[in-house]
Amino acid sequence: MKKDEQDNRSIQNGPVRLKGVGDSLCVTLDPALPVDDLQKELSFLFKRCATLAVNAKVVLDTGEKEGYEELIEVLGAFLKSTFGVGSVSAMLKKKRSPDPDEKRSPDPDEDIRKRDVEGSWHHYRSEVLMLMGRVRSGQKVTAENHLLILGDVNPGAEVWAGGDILIMGSLRGTAVAGQPENENAIVLALDFQPTQIQIGGIVGAGLPPSSKKQVEFAHVENDTIVVEAYLEANTFGRMPWLQVR
Amino acid sequence: MDGRIIVITSGKGGVGKTTATASIGAALALEGRRVAVVDMDIGLRNLDVVMGLENRIVFNVVDAVKGKCKLKQASIKDRRIENLYLIPASQSDNKNVLSPEEMVSFGEILRKEFDFVLMDCPAGIERGFENSVASADEAVVICAPEVSSVRDADRVIGLLYAKSITPKLVINRIIPEMVERGDMLNHIDVVDVLSIELIGLVPMDDQVIIATNTGNPLVLQKKSKAGEAFRRIALRLNGMTDLPIEVPQAEGHFWRKIGTKLGLGK
Ligand SMILES: Nc1ncnc2c1ncn2[C@@H]1O[C@H](COP(=O)(O)OP(=O)(O)O)[C@@H](O)[C@H]1O
Ligand SMILES: [Mg+2]
Repeated sequence: MKKDEQDNRSIQNGPVRLKGVGDSLCVTLDPALPVDDLQKELSFLFKRCATLAVNAKVVLDTGEKEGYEELIEVLGAFLKSTFGVGSVSAMLKKKRSPDPDEKRSPDPDEDIRKRDVEGSWHHYRSEVLMLMGRVRSGQKVTAENHLLILGDVNPGAEVWAGGDILIMGSLRGTAVAGQPENENAIVLALDFQPTQIQIGGIVGAGLPPSSKKQVEFAHVENDTIVVEAYLEANTFGRMPWLQVR
Repeated sequence: MDGRIIVITSGKGGVGKTTATASIGAALALEGRRVAVVDMDIGLRNLDVVMGLENRIVFNVVDAVKGKCKLKQASIKDRRIENLYLIPASQSDNKNVLSPEEMVSFGEILRKEFDFVLMDCPAGIERGFENSVASADEAVVICAPEVSSVRDADRVIGLLYAKSITPKLVINRIIPEMVERGDMLNHIDVVDVLSIELIGLVPMDDQVIIATNTGNPLVLQKKSKAGEAFRRIALRLNGMTDLPIEVPQAEGHFWRKIGTKLGLGK
């Protein structure tokens, strides 16, 4: 294998990846690795673009987990002293907001996220509990974050989640999403006939059963639970860029 | 070969567990199998009354489980049907006198003596249910076409799966005229929610009350539609798995035959 090819592969698939985005250099790295290894990988990458690096604005992306401020500080100091980069900052963490209008922040780091769709999800993971089967009367399924069920939820059963609830089947029992207080959560079912819906602290009881066989979802609007045809509303399809949920 | 222990259960009371136990037991015995029907409703026994055997009780299931008598002594031979035996409940004890562990050992003894053992489970999901299910290999869930009965059946099905028992479904007390008018749940809706294998649909039938009051086996009643349905359920349990399930029709209609695969999906 030629040396060049080897280098290329390292850039694409290694534990540290570098990408020019706008006027910044975006570096995606695995924060679980030892600092020494990360510094070695960073040296390797930055040597290859040494002229670009001088005074560059560098953004470090450690994935969605919090608590790597110290690591970013250490690596930032290392990059500044070794390669003379201009500034080093952390990538903004995800926010739980389904409302695209809220996201129009002037923050340049956000802009990077918006445009950099295909590469930057590497260290991100949405926590989803995915189950298949039938939840029966008297049974309760709980998920720390999102809950996805391939199957049905019977009357008398309860599904409970910290985040969203997606039922790829009939939802006839009770669904409690966004616990304890995430009113941005949704409850979606291919066949939406719940006994009761709760999102965050808001309860929707006695929802009129819809006769149409269509995919529906419940969400909170002005402190009330609203049920809409999912494909018609296309709330998420209308969002201008991808986000982690 | 060891016999099969089948628990007849429902969660809710009054849906026809005792009627089903007596009728399916009788029909299996008429097929030449050695059958025991066990009344697990300790303290509220009534299978003996339904079978017209109450005046013959000397020992009961608690005595047999506790070793106070031999299994033979607690097994009451039916008056009309060869090979059919009743093991009655005790009337004075409460359900906690037996434990699931004791029932498992008792099940071993029963399996040696009989081809089929039907456990008539009490209502509820507490100790009486636990005891009835403890030794069972199979389960038949009886459900009436009512929302509350479906809910309870669903609960019991979940509990049975948790014990690695795959239950089969019988829908009892169907009134075809009401189903036709849309005033009663259609069996298809019930199967849709419960999603287990259907092995029989039993109509509401005055003959059931007559049989119960006279202590005569329903399945010997020639004109009884419910008796016929229970007989077909027994045949299916006895190995005729491709026997079609008949959907009860309102008077003046012919019984419609539907596929046996019905219980397995929509
Ligand atoms: N198919 C039926 N048609 C008419 N009456 C029935 C039928 N099945 C059950 N019953 C009646 O319903 C009542 C309850 O039945 P039973 O078998 O004692 O239920 P369980 O044992 O589940 O409490 C009894 O009076 C019985 O005669
Ligand atoms: Mg009973």
